[in-house]
Amino acid sequence: MIRRRWGQVLGMLRGLSVTFRVLFRPPVTTTYPDEKTRVEERFKGRHWLTRYADGLERCIGCELCVIVCPSQAIFVQAAENTPEHQVSRGERYAADFQINMLRCIFCGFCEEACPTGAIVLGHDYELAGYTRASMIYTKPMLTEPYPGAGGRDPHREI
Amino acid sequence: MAEPPATVTLTIDGRAVTVARGTTVWHAAEQAGIDIPIFCYLDRMPPLGACRQCFVRVEKMARLQTSCTLVAEEGMVVSASTPDVRGAQERNLEFLLINHPLDCPICDKGGECPLQDQTFAYGSGRSRFVELKRDFAKPVSLGSVLVLDRERCILCWRCVRFGEIVAGDDALKGFERGFQTEINTPFTQPVRSKFIGNTISICPVGALTSRTYRFQARPWDNDAVPSVCNHCGLGCTVWLDVRDQTVARVRPRETPDLNDIWLCDLGQFGFEWLHAKDRLTRPLVRKNGQLVETTWDEALDLVAARLAESRQRGAGRVGVLGGARLTNEDNFLLRRVFREIVGTPHLDHRLDARPGSASLQVAWGLRGPLAAIPESSLLLLVGCDITEEYPIAWLRMKQAVDHGAQLYAIHPKPLEIHRFITGRLIHSPGAEGVVLAQIANAVRGQKPDAKVLQEAGVDPAVVAGLVARLRAAARPMVFIGKNALEGPAGTTVLHAAQRLQAAGCMIHIMRGKGNAVGAALMGVLPGPGGWTAPEMIQQAARGALDVLYVLGGDPATEVGDAHAWAAAREHTPLVVVHDLFLTATGRDADVVLPALTYAEKHGTVCNLEGRVQQIEAAVRGPAGARGDGAILLELAARLGAEWSYGGWEEIFADARAAVPGLEIGAFRTPPPLQGDWPANGALPARSADLVLITGEVLFDRGSMTARSPAIADLAGPPSVWVHPADAASRGLVDGALAQLSVGAAGLVLRARLTEEVPPGRVYVPRGYDAVPVNRLLSWDQPLVTVSLRAIDAAAAAGPGSEVAP
Repeated sequence: MIRRRWGQVLGMLRGLSVTFRVLFRPPVTTTYPDEKTRVEERFKGRHWLTRYADGLERCIGCELCVIVCPSQAIFVQAAENTPEHQVSRGERYAADFQINMLRCIFCGFCEEACPTGAIVLGHDYELAGYTRASMIYTKPMLTEPYPGAGGRDPHREI
Repeated sequence: MAEPPATVTLTIDGRAVTVARGTTVWHAAEQAGIDIPIFCYLDRMPPLGACRQCFVRVEKMARLQTSCTLVAEEGMVVSASTPDVRGAQERNLEFLLINHPLDCPICDKGGECPLQDQTFAYGSGRSRFVELKRDFAKPVSLGSVLVLDRERCILCWRCVRFGEIVAGDDALKGFERGFQTEINTPFTQPVRSKFIGNTISICPVGALTSRTYRFQARPWDNDAVPSVCNHCGLGCTVWLDVRDQTVARVRPRETPDLNDIWLCDLGQFGFEWLHAKDRLTRPLVRKNGQLVETTWDEALDLVAARLAESRQRGAGRVGVLGGARLTNEDNFLLRRVFREIVGTPHLDHRLDARPGSASLQVAWGLRGPLAAIPESSLLLLVGCDITEEYPIAWLRMKQAVDHGAQLYAIHPKPLEIHRFITGRLIHSPGAEGVVLAQIANAVRGQKPDAKVLQEAGVDPAVVAGLVARLRAAARPMVFIGKNALEGPAGTTVLHAAQRLQAAGCMIHIMRGKGNAVGAALMGVLPGPGGWTAPEMIQQAARGALDVLYVLGGDPATEVGDAHAWAAAREHTPLVVVHDLFLTATGRDADVVLPALTYAEKHGTVCNLEGRVQQIEAAVRGPAGARGDGAILLELAARLGAEWSYGGWEEIFADARAAVPGLEIGAFRTPPPLQGDWPANGALPARSADLVLITGEVLFDRGSMTARSPAIADLAGPPSVWVHPADAASRGLVDGALAQLSVGAAGLVLRARLTEEVPPGRVYVPRGYDAVPVNRLLSWDQPLVTVSLRAIDAAAAAGPGSEVAP
């Protein structure tokens, strides 16, 4: 009888030892949204259309991301560069580029398929919106405002 | 000596294959389901062996052989997949890719490229070539529709040989030697061809791409919708590639006995008008002299009320013009509404005929299949400019010529294809009837009158040669075109043609655009006591009609006498027009109803062979526009008819009950010529002035083609073709503005100095809506003499003249 009670006390103390051990460690919870969680280097979040260091867009409107996308989230309409209106290197550029963020599953296939390294998945994960229309990211929203803004080296070669 | 057996049996990769004697090893493998990669060979042209991709090993032969050029022999043992063959194919691909830029991501061929596919299937996936690649300036523009990229070219010669063998226009050629060899036009000038779009579809790489489709879409973006081209009357089968409710391009749809795998450039590039910004979307009604937008209900109520009013005043006070642009179902409803409900016999689709012309007295169309043309050994064109009017038929004629057939042309001017013509019979304007009558008489044993022939302007020796060949020819064919039928000697031509028919010739009436044959089949022709289109216009000018109902036509520019149409318009209280755009007719009409195009409708159409083909709606069309059939059904309902059609199939079923033999895929071949046509042996009086001849051209600037930038560009500005001698005496230089006048009427056109028109004549291509040549023409005067003078640009805007753009 006493033996049994002693066993119960021991078990309780063993369990409480975990509580006391953790009680004095720093907490793992963060006060999101006041404080943002750090993500890993290869985290796949919001897309960016990157630029070369000279400011020309990397995207050539080839639509390989469109065909590889498993959730058919991307729309691209290509057009032809002219000397007066040189958007990307070479003959072709994307006149329109849209990603439906409601459809995107962040698999990163578009980044893998991209022959020029134009589309990259960045670290931004705050992608909620109040309307469906606001979840269709358009080309001005996707294109990085200055070379390297998307977090990738604008000098990198693919 | 015994005949060799008709078949040979050989072994390919261990499988015994029996094929007809003369088959190549490549075809034998294909029949056995064994895939051998290839680039240069296309089965519409003889093998060449240029790309070296189709290597196979044949036992007892020293080296690897190109299977496309090797004829299969009895007992051959071929291996197509042994390691040495695979190795050779792989190395050949590596060689081809040495100079290929591998810019697939920006290349329009990417995704449908044989080089990509075969590199994926047979290539090694790596290249040992680290040196600099061949470098050409690119892209190079070769005219309005073609873009050339010489770096991508693998020199398969398909495009060059297409121009030599299939089209006969030698549009593209090879230049330089060896490493620097390139495909191009001389001096990189704009390509001159009516079939250049086909080189884009047969190019196995992205060296030749389309300007209209440039960077528009990827193959995986497009839905291919089967349709039928509605430009000329041949009804070539096409794919409409649709991306996001927009037709991105038109491609040939293979139909071996019709257009095969080819399409003319009008069919391939003349589609941008479908999405023109100025398509009509709201009905227009004239109020206080102005056309104002209104609702469908108001417009339809107005038209129905006026039709009912006219019906009460008596039958036959309504005329219907047009129908060639509509489907069979629309035409069937058109006939039902106007014959059964409105009760008028005056329906006609033949807008552009002259009163009493031969066109109105004969059924239009080919009397045999298009595919039978290459079997003929003698082809006679009478007033039929085949490459301008029915270009795909020319490809069949070219095949016949290649098989040894003789080609003759009776025409008032030389044809573009003159170098394939055995005998040119360039007659004085209006003399075609006399020339053909002499030929018909001579075939039946009478001696031709050399003096009359010389007076008609043709060489009696050429006629004698033609007659001798006609007597001996296998399946001779005569193609009678619009020029001859609408000319002053139309009935004489038919009279002579009927006699040639009795002598064994097949007579084809090459007349009608779009679905003209279908319109005729569905009964859009004068009923008992009904007037033909020109009679309707003449009667309307006398105030005999209350309503003129015009569908899918532009009489203001198409009718061969602009003054006659203007008078008809003026004396008819209500003119209703269904059209896509506000045409010249629409601008003067009282009610304009926005309609849909062939790419926006389901239904069936007929071509010149009488072949019934189905079309599918590819795009929705502009919001607000309605199909012609739907508009007619609305009118029928307002006029008290209780019809209910649940779709085009039900209308087609009713049409089938009315027209026996109407089945999709069936042929409703028109009957042979039979009639009693008056012949007139007199030659038209010679004129000291210039005689005006007009004709259809493939590329023009009509209501649709002017809205297709590529076609409008190919057409160039409206022009008058003048012989250099006539031009010199009038001080005209090439490209200068010239005023062409008949009495008070005048047109200002660009002079084009060319020997393609004989001295004493000027030629004006029709179909330019901005400069309608029918203002110079008159129904009373089949042959028009004109005066021509050079003007300076400043005077061009003077009174009584039209300004050339």
